[in-house]
Amino acid sequence: MAQYVVEMNRISKGFPGVQALDEVDFRASAGEVMALLGENGAGKSTLVKILSGVYIRDSGSIRIFGKEVKGDLTPTTAREAGIAIIHQELNMCPHLTVAENIFLGRERSKGAVLSNREMYAESKAILDKLKIRIDPDTVVGDLAVSKQQMVEIAKALSTDARILIMDEPTSALTSKEIEELFAIIRQLKAEGRSIIYISHRLEELRHIVDQVTIMRDGRFILESAFKDISMENIISNMVGREIKNKFPRVECSPGEMLLEVKNLSAGRMVRDVSFSLRAGEIVGVAGLMGAGRTEMTRALFGVDHKESGEIRLSGKPIAINKPMDAIREGIVLAPEDRKKDGLCTNLSVRENIALPNLDILCDRLSVVNRKKEAAMVEKATANLTIRMPNADVDAASLSGGNQQKVVVAKWLAGNSKVVVFDEPTRGIDVAAKVEIYNLMNQLKQQGIGVLFTSSEMPEVLGIADRVLVMCDGRITGELPIGEATQNKILELATRFENKLEGEREVQQA
Amino acid sequence: MEKQATKRANPFRRLMAIRGMGQVVTVGAGLLVLCAVFGVINENFVSKANVTNLLRQIAPILLIGIAQSFVLITGNIDLSIGSVVGMSTMIAATLMSRGILGPVPAILVTLLCCLVVGVTNGFLVAQCKLPPFIATLGTMTIARGIAQIVNNNYNTDSIMKFYPESAQTFKDLLYYGKTLGVYNGILIAVVLWVVFNFILSKTRTGRHIYAVGSNIEAARLSGVNITTTTIKAYAISAFCSCVVGLITCATVGQGTMDAGNGYELYAVAASVIGGVSTLGGQGILLGTVIGAAVWGVLQNGLQFAGAPVALRNIVVGVIVVLSVLMDVVVRKGHKKKKA
Repeated sequence: MAQYVVEMNRISKGFPGVQALDEVDFRASAGEVMALLGENGAGKSTLVKILSGVYIRDSGSIRIFGKEVKGDLTPTTAREAGIAIIHQELNMCPHLTVAENIFLGRERSKGAVLSNREMYAESKAILDKLKIRIDPDTVVGDLAVSKQQMVEIAKALSTDARILIMDEPTSALTSKEIEELFAIIRQLKAEGRSIIYISHRLEELRHIVDQVTIMRDGRFILESAFKDISMENIISNMVGREIKNKFPRVECSPGEMLLEVKNLSAGRMVRDVSFSLRAGEIVGVAGLMGAGRTEMTRALFGVDHKESGEIRLSGKPIAINKPMDAIREGIVLAPEDRKKDGLCTNLSVRENIALPNLDILCDRLSVVNRKKEAAMVEKATANLTIRMPNADVDAASLSGGNQQKVVVAKWLAGNSKVVVFDEPTRGIDVAAKVEIYNLMNQLKQQGIGVLFTSSEMPEVLGIADRVLVMCDGRITGELPIGEATQNKILELATRFENKLEGEREVQQA
Repeated sequence: MEKQATKRANPFRRLMAIRGMGQVVTVGAGLLVLCAVFGVINENFVSKANVTNLLRQIAPILLIGIAQSFVLITGNIDLSIGSVVGMSTMIAATLMSRGILGPVPAILVTLLCCLVVGVTNGFLVAQCKLPPFIATLGTMTIARGIAQIVNNNYNTDSIMKFYPESAQTFKDLLYYGKTLGVYNGILIAVVLWVVFNFILSKTRTGRHIYAVGSNIEAARLSGVNITTTTIKAYAISAFCSCVVGLITCATVGQGTMDAGNGYELYAVAASVIGGVSTLGGQGILLGTVIGAAVWGVLQNGLQFAGAPVALRNIVVGVIVVLSVLMDVVVRKGHKKKKA
């Protein structure tokens, strides 16, 4: 009797320039949730991608249900072996319908003709079972991201997988949806399925997890029953050192008034927003998903059209109609979606950092001064301790935390006065988060005004000097850090204009 | 409630919701307006003789439009279409006019040669990961070179020279003859349209073609064979182009080296006007019919209205840009609505 449904022994995998996995052992049992934990770049995703046939291992052996896997796994053979994976990045075909996506690659057909009706009915049954209210005929591209995530889960389950891998499944979900997901996970567990769960949100673990495996720098560190290990222990094993202070706070007295925003309105999600920011101050913007925080940062930076409002910088009114205006004034944005909006992922780190600073780097004939560029990149990357082989690698090849640092680096190389971060720590690990906090503190000490949005309340409370709370496109409250508590913030964050509209807001999020 | 939930939305609404049906309807309406305008300008435009003539002009454009649509939906492009048409004409005509092979074996050899080009295109794009623009630009030049070299850089003699009877049958079968009162050239296009529309909308291959164009990584991770699917699309493209080349050969009665010149762009025009997205994943062959018809009506109608060739080119070009622009604007509006 095989006790483990998955046994991976001494798995190694190298990519050009990096040894992603170094003789890693991993195993999972039926009817249990195994959490796979580690920092960014620890090799968790690589490991599960090998198990699901996306990557091919260099060496090591894999046993699934006690049977040795001979040769390489492909996505198809892994699926036939009972393995399904929900990827971190959404992997749906936006033009196809929900049912078409669920059955992609294993369509049902009678002879040559696809049995659309049969696939529709089966999709419907799966979605109903998971209590997901989506019509299988909906085109996936029309769904909100969180709903797409649910479809992805339905797709994985439709194969009747015995082993289900979830790579950061909750990063795009609201707390209500996370609850629903956990209910599904418990149900699957009860059915005897094995679940491999990767998440950075350690606070989620206690709801569902039975076992934990910790990885670090491509190596196996330890495996333990969840109840036998403390959270501090988990974290210190993940980072290989004790993190004494998860939220390092630096005190410095705020300087003069830097940025004043008055009655800013831009569309339905930014309504009559007013706030101020001093030099050397960190202001956190809290709120639920869909509260309009991202939209507010976009309007401020000139990405979206503003209907009305006044922006003053150091007391002087300024007009920001496009991002270039904001950059010229020294107001910069590190957007939420790093890969989509923050970086040119096909360009090298060096080119990304140089991009917004070309006016400093170029001589009169618009020729880039390579020496100046190299010096700027050197300084920026050293300051932020960006981990990479060299500055000429593609930005896409870096881990999430390091990508975030490159985004910041490209702005800091110029002379920015106000730095706006939209969800700066989304999807990055504990240690990288602390580095981002340190970075924000560093900016603060240099007399830069820092505005950041965050969905994680401990983060807002831990790092901000002042808290703004948004709900439904409006600022519903402002709290000095001394008075801010989770309860107070939550109370302000749910202060909807009226109940009905509020509910619609949450639905859309 | 459960029962009601399993009932699907009615087919018409589903059709309207999926894959750019909106543009097909809009452009279809535009086509009717266009026909009405040309009819008013010159009433001969709507005469029976001209309508037949028009349909015979549209048929090959529809076929190369189908060719390009398959490739565009996978998110690629095929620039070799026009050259494959020329190559097909020249190979078939050379074989027949020199008495090397009769029409039937000549057709088979020609098909084989064209499919080699199609498979090569697909292989270069999917397996060797060449940008489709560059890969098919290369095969476009090569295929045109082959079209020139097969008969030592001359147009061929008449295909009737060695096979007066069977070549006449070949000409009738592909272009001049009629079946059930309809010219064969038109019928071939209709039959192939039905076949390929079936493949695209009802079969696994068709579904995979959409998936590859929509999100190649998602398709790969779902177990869709990207290389095979891409090769199939390019092979279908080459097949349709080959048929157009054979029809051209039958029409002219000899092989001309510059046959099919510029067809790849007409094919893009027919696809794009009909709502096939150049970004992949979107489009239906019904749209390609309408796109090809718009192209044909513009060419023919402007000719009737007395416009010079150069002006016709400009008008078609403007229409292509406008229809892509419309697609982009509609999509932008859609996104805004969602946000």
